[in-house]
Amino acid sequence: MFHKILIANRGEIAVRIIRACRQMGIKSVAVFSEADRESLHAMLADEALCIGPARSDKSYLDIERILSAAEASGADAIHPGFGFLSENASFAKYCNECNIKFIGPSSDIISRMGDKSAARETMKNAGIPVTPGGKGVLREADEALLEAGRIGYPVMIKAALGGGGKGMRISRSDEDFTENFMNARREALNGFSDDSMYIEKYIENPRHIEIQILADEHGNVIHLGERDCSLQRRHQKVLEESPCIAIDADLRERIGEAAVKAAKACGYVNAGTIEFLLDKDKNFYFMEMNTRIQVEHPVTEMVTGIDIVKEQIRIAAGMPLRFKQQDVKITGHAIECRINAENPEKNFMPSPGRITNLHIPGGNGIRVDAHIYNGYKVPSNYDSMLLKLIVHGDDRQEAIAKMRSALGEIVIEGPDTNIDFEYDIINNEAYQNGDIDTGFIERFMQL
Amino acid sequence: MFRSMFKKTYTKINDAGEKHIKSGVPEGMWRKCVKCLSPVYAEGVRNNYYICPKCGGYFRVHAYRRIEMICDKGSFEEWNKVMPVSNPLQFPGYEEKIAEAKLKSKLDEAVVTGKACIDGIPVVIAACDARFLMSSMGHNVGEKITYALERAADEKLPVIIYSCSGGARMQEGIVSLMQMAKTSAAVKKLHEAGQLYISFLTDPTTGGVTASFAMLGDIILAEPKALIGFAGPRVIAQTIGTKLPEGFQRAEFLLEHGFVDAIVERKDQKAVLGNILKTFKNRERCSKAAGTVKCNESSIKDKSFIPDDSPGFSSKKGKSGDNLADYLRKDKAAYTQKAASYGHNDIKDGLVAGKLKKINEIVRIRSGKVRSDKSAWESVLISRKKDRLTAKDYIDEMFSDFFELHGDRYFADDKAIIGGTAFFNKKPVMVIGQQKGKNLKENKLRNFGMPSPEGYRKVIRLMKLAEAFKLPVICFVDTPGAFCGIEAEERGQGEAIARCLYEAGDLKTPVLSIVIGEGGSGGALAMAVANEVWMLEHAIYSILSPEGFASILYKDAAKCKEAAQDMRITSADLLNLGIIEKIIPEKKPVCMDNIDEIISYLGFELEKWINKYSIMSKEELVKQRYERYRKF
Repeated sequence: MFHKILIANRGEIAVRIIRACRQMGIKSVAVFSEADRESLHAMLADEALCIGPARSDKSYLDIERILSAAEASGADAIHPGFGFLSENASFAKYCNECNIKFIGPSSDIISRMGDKSAARETMKNAGIPVTPGGKGVLREADEALLEAGRIGYPVMIKAALGGGGKGMRISRSDEDFTENFMNARREALNGFSDDSMYIEKYIENPRHIEIQILADEHGNVIHLGERDCSLQRRHQKVLEESPCIAIDADLRERIGEAAVKAAKACGYVNAGTIEFLLDKDKNFYFMEMNTRIQVEHPVTEMVTGIDIVKEQIRIAAGMPLRFKQQDVKITGHAIECRINAENPEKNFMPSPGRITNLHIPGGNGIRVDAHIYNGYKVPSNYDSMLLKLIVHGDDRQEAIAKMRSALGEIVIEGPDTNIDFEYDIINNEAYQNGDIDTGFIERFMQL
Repeated sequence: MFRSMFKKTYTKINDAGEKHIKSGVPEGMWRKCVKCLSPVYAEGVRNNYYICPKCGGYFRVHAYRRIEMICDKGSFEEWNKVMPVSNPLQFPGYEEKIAEAKLKSKLDEAVVTGKACIDGIPVVIAACDARFLMSSMGHNVGEKITYALERAADEKLPVIIYSCSGGARMQEGIVSLMQMAKTSAAVKKLHEAGQLYISFLTDPTTGGVTASFAMLGDIILAEPKALIGFAGPRVIAQTIGTKLPEGFQRAEFLLEHGFVDAIVERKDQKAVLGNILKTFKNRERCSKAAGTVKCNESSIKDKSFIPDDSPGFSSKKGKSGDNLADYLRKDKAAYTQKAASYGHNDIKDGLVAGKLKKINEIVRIRSGKVRSDKSAWESVLISRKKDRLTAKDYIDEMFSDFFELHGDRYFADDKAIIGGTAFFNKKPVMVIGQQKGKNLKENKLRNFGMPSPEGYRKVIRLMKLAEAFKLPVICFVDTPGAFCGIEAEERGQGEAIARCLYEAGDLKTPVLSIVIGEGGSGGALAMAVANEVWMLEHAIYSILSPEGFASILYKDAAKCKEAAQDMRITSADLLNLGIIEKIIPEKKPVCMDNIDEIISYLGFELEKWINKYSIMSKEELVKQRYERYRKF
């Protein structure tokens, strides 16, 4: 087991990892930027080193500074958390070269899964269903038209170098395909100086499902069931839950098996998440793999009773998994709300500042993962998440009731928050009926 | 705040029996960036063209890495790798110093020379390496460079030298000084042999190397922020006793002062060099090719390529119509094919219909039924309109791979004139244009399209370069006049314009000038001594602005409208006077909205023009041009 783990992150997840270290009797080392001197993670860790100014490219994203801190403190492992350097293949590689264990998969797997089309190809070859897509790069409209017919409408037309919706079109039939293709291609050419296009099946209003997996260095892979993360605003998750009510035991087994197969196909080690789209007819398609701990991991912890962060550390230390697939039991229902310092009235504009009054709810089945305290000043340099409120009930209905109560009780004064926004979602009838998909938030916000 | 309140929970682990691998950063994994002083990964630097990933600062590149980065894989063949140590002054301790440098740098001398390929084009390459005694030039460095230049001249190969040097090598005294003369003479020899020399200046290029082969390139490129100068900055600061300005003697400073053609980032260097080599490839220099290319009527099989001499408006029926029809048929076929590749009937039909409409329009104009319905004064106003197409618009739309060459090599780079190499229908050409801005900010930069003496000297330099490699020269004329100011007179505005007329008159390569906007007086004529001069329908070309003319002759600047009429400055007037050969019709005054139309017409005419003139001998070209102006 490790003597000392450096946590290359900040905020709530750094605190979460430090707590796991404390419980395991491992020394923890926090690194912090000048803006985070008074942050909880820097105070809770056994040691703390300042690694630079507030700008994350000169602190939390600076590989050299973090490795210097690891060397100075004598840490023998680094937990990258999520965001920042967690999916940086070079960082994992340099850690390895310095004989510091990177708590996560190898550099090679990170880079292979980071390349979206290579990951898709790997999964396709392993027999995992992927969204039916074109053969590859397309430039000419007639070729693309044939391909669209083969895939079946509706199809999504995407620029290979695309982003931010540019060079992206949905086509529903032969009639509007060519026009959409030409427009998307023109946008791509103007926007990215490249007119390489892809087309793939457009799945309408799917659910965003992800399977948590754990894989050790000895070839054992298990899954911890699914999370439903369909509630997203501009690809930012708002609320997550486990299990997904659209998935029954049989489907769970099939998706879970696919996820385990996917992890094995790429030789995955440590905790990871495989994202799928689930359509109305319960078909699921591989989207991508996240090679790190996820923000929403607590909902899985609540329904399985497994501490994923501790398992990550054990796996990294070379220990075999303590569970077999049949040991994993999904009990009850868990929901997580992300409470952010942002103003939903002002287009979710971040609202940093000092917390002047704070009350955190508690009680049976109520969990709060946070790094804030009364008097803490939320810096403007980083993401705006203040805390994660997680509830666990016997069933979805009870979980909703607990979340409603907890959201109604929580008090954060100072920065604006999205608590009321989350409260309205929980009280929404469609949400309560489980009538959710990736288009839910957009529809909800138009109400 | 809470720090001292939280209780520690870690347990002391007794690992006496356990083996622990000490963690830590292995040797050589990090390097320190000399520019920003941050630690950076050696591998990260290597994978990033030896550029600091943090501050973008350029690390110095080892000679062999440099060659690897630029040349096709495995194509490099080294020349004169090992040479006997030269110590002409028997300078004490010098040989030990050389031995030490050899050991430390694993190099035999401060320069590596040889032959390689870039994009499949064979080239002689030399790369200096600062690790070896600051790449100073002694006998062996001079010898290797001279040998490479001589052999390139013999084997008819272009040369690229990546310079980097502290200057002449002190330990070899006056013999080092002689290397400057020796290498410079060898550059001249290469020039006489008709071969291109690209000098690439890297950090630092100073002293005797700057003052010899490094500054003699046909094309001089530099790396960003490279220190380039004759005397070192510290010496200058001490001598004159003042603080030197920021950026002094850096590549950007040299670009501004006209000594560097372009600054090229490392990631683009291979592509840029490949493009330049392609531009200047296999084109015998005129000095060598004297008399080899003769216009031979019988050798021209396809008579349709010989255009009629009659200009657009007064076009007679017959031959020219056939030519056009041929061209349009070809064009239509090409478009149909292109449209078919989109595989959609609507689009195909749409594209072809649009193109045909355009083609019909051109036929209508060419058939001579249209005459300008604008008055002379209206043309004056149109020629000065803010949204009128500028030289750069034509260059971007009509040519591909435009590579701008900067500077006059004496004083500055005049932004009122742009010029460089480009391809027209896959044929390399030299394009030069007087450039106006489209808004106030750009106009300030471009000095409202009014060239300074350094601008005209750049024109001469580019024309001579084109002549040496037999590239046709295409000039876009658009200026209210040469810049009128104290500085311009100080640097000899009159002399610069005169020199343009003098050199252009005798240029041994085809020259075409197209007046696209204002053709203002001598400032315009400097770029309009050509084998043919064309004008856009609403361009003007005159001895003076109508306002100036009115105030001189009519003593009233308000009479400019009448002056415009009387001066006969419109394209139609000038065609009748025989000042120009062709009018490029403007159905509507040209602007970005109808650029396609004008480009397609101009492209058609330009192709014919190039075909006509590229088969003429240099004597014929010069004679034709001489007579063109002799008749006035």
